[in-house]
Amino acid sequence: MSLLSIEAITKEYDGIRALDRVSLKVEKGSIKGLIGPNGAGKSTLFHLISGVEKPDSGKICFKEKNITSLAPHERSALGIGRTFQTLQIWGNMTVVENIMAGMDRRLKGNLLSYGFWLPWIRTSEKEALKEAKEILDSLDLLGKWESMASQLPYGKQKLLELGRALAMKPELLLLDEPASGLTLTEIEQLSERISQIRQEGVTVFLVEHHMGMVMEIADEIAVLHNGELIAEGTPEGVKKNPRVIDAYLTRRNRNQDAQN
Amino acid sequence: MVEQKEKEFRKRDLFFLVPLWLLSLIAPDPYLYHKKEFKKKDLFYLGAICLAPLIWSDPHFHHLMVLAGIYAILALGLSLFMGYAGQISLGHAAFFGIGAYTTAILTAHHGFPPFVALWASTLSASAIAYLIGRSILKLKGYFLALATLGFGEIFLVMVRESTDLTGGVIGIFGIPWFSVIGFSFDTYLKQYYLTWGVLTGLFIFSKNLVRSKVGRALLAVAASEDAASSVGINVPRVKLEIFVLGAAFAGLAGSLFACVMSTANPEAFSLGFTVLIVMMVILGGMGNIYGPIAGAILLTWLMDFLSRYQEYSLPIYSVLLILLLIFFPDGIGTRLNVRVIYLIGYWAKKKKRDEGKL
Repeated sequence: MSLLSIEAITKEYDGIRALDRVSLKVEKGSIKGLIGPNGAGKSTLFHLISGVEKPDSGKICFKEKNITSLAPHERSALGIGRTFQTLQIWGNMTVVENIMAGMDRRLKGNLLSYGFWLPWIRTSEKEALKEAKEILDSLDLLGKWESMASQLPYGKQKLLELGRALAMKPELLLLDEPASGLTLTEIEQLSERISQIRQEGVTVFLVEHHMGMVMEIADEIAVLHNGELIAEGTPEGVKKNPRVIDAYLTRRNRNQDAQN
Repeated sequence: MVEQKEKEFRKRDLFFLVPLWLLSLIAPDPYLYHKKEFKKKDLFYLGAICLAPLIWSDPHFHHLMVLAGIYAILALGLSLFMGYAGQISLGHAAFFGIGAYTTAILTAHHGFPPFVALWASTLSASAIAYLIGRSILKLKGYFLALATLGFGEIFLVMVRESTDLTGGVIGIFGIPWFSVIGFSFDTYLKQYYLTWGVLTGLFIFSKNLVRSKVGRALLAVAASEDAASSVGINVPRVKLEIFVLGAAFAGLAGSLFACVMSTANPEAFSLGFTVLIVMMVILGGMGNIYGPIAGAILLTWLMDFLSRYQEYSLPIYSVLLILLLIFFPDGIGTRLNVRVIYLIGYWAKKKKRDEGKL
């Protein structure tokens, strides 16, 4: 059974239909890519899955549980981690604290137990710090663990955001354009890292504009165009699908017309 | 005789500058992770707090420091809500008032011991904060500021109008000194140790919060609520918890205030007082746990010092605040030493520049 299944989901903004009865499934342990021209509704779909926005109709199931009406933090608590298209790291914290804050849902204890610094809080904080450093080490960020997150260069901040999502030990990881703004070498490292994440048993669902990268790492690709799902299948199959070619080419032609 | 009085004043004024400078040495960059642990320096400050009233045995100074300590408790709670969670509250004085009136009514009207009234004040302030926080914390930014401001004003009106319970504009008199199992805090020196003892406890509590999961969740909520909920942080709950905690601090401070001043009247909890507390937090440094204490000491002393100049005190006060905000935008508790070095460097270079031009 699939880990995430979306059934006939529809979302409108002021009468404009951003998503039109989209249904798709993400299998456990796979890497699924979501592509489509700008404005196709990819980010909207991600917002709906992570709960930032609510759908007008349709159903979202995670681990066969209906999560359509849950709040964002409740969905994360079930094991859905995500990164954002516009970078959302916490610049007011150090690098290591960003990762440790990502572990929030795994650290137990209430306000009072932290205020009184009960003995088991001390050990759990120590372990959290140790684990955060291990995650930073795997991302090659350990050298900067104490600097403010806002002082890192853009590429490192992107990595930090990924690390934060990993720190919460998600079962499903939603990556919203992880490669945007990265250099070619950084993209290569990122692809490697994503494959590695999959081997650790995390299902990955990513939106990406960088075709080379998606085609290389994804097991399955879904294509959105004007809010409709126009193709779904293996990278090879999708590449040859006439509707996909049409969607990308007409768009390109239109752009050229507009320029002329 | 007059000369001697002047001298006493100077000695006292100097005292305030020294701890401020020392406070500033703690953290040129308080953000480094390892700086959030307790250090030997903290012990040093604790020692300074214990010894200060013994060295400067001036009752006026003791009284001033008692007030500063009470304001610091209030500012500490507000600092968690404003400086860390990044929310705005302009109704914090109301919780202070709720604490003060609970104590006043329980002790002066019903004869409860102040120790019981202290806990009752803390509980009532936090219970009311829980009730109103559940609804108004959904607001953000200016709207939250307005809602809390409205709450503060409603509280003031209720206190002024319900004459039977609160004594109206005249207030309640004859609140007994604070006492625990027969030991009465009847001198300013004893009150000093009481307030600063409580403040130390609450400071340790707050610092434990700030350096652990709770503090990280607060900073995360302040920076990006979307990102915070994406890692499973329950944003409304985090905000509510810290709002209630801040109110509990305020209620406790209000109870101590009522016992120290032995009166409770509505003038003490007006909008001006809220602004004063907010200024303590901002001047001390947002997101710096030592800041509210430094801010409280500075502003309490400043108001007392300027009261000598009577009608000129407010203009001087406001000009000083503006200057402080220009030269210490991150707060006096954060960057004093850095800024002083910067200023010295600036003037040295200015001299050189001017000479070069000449």
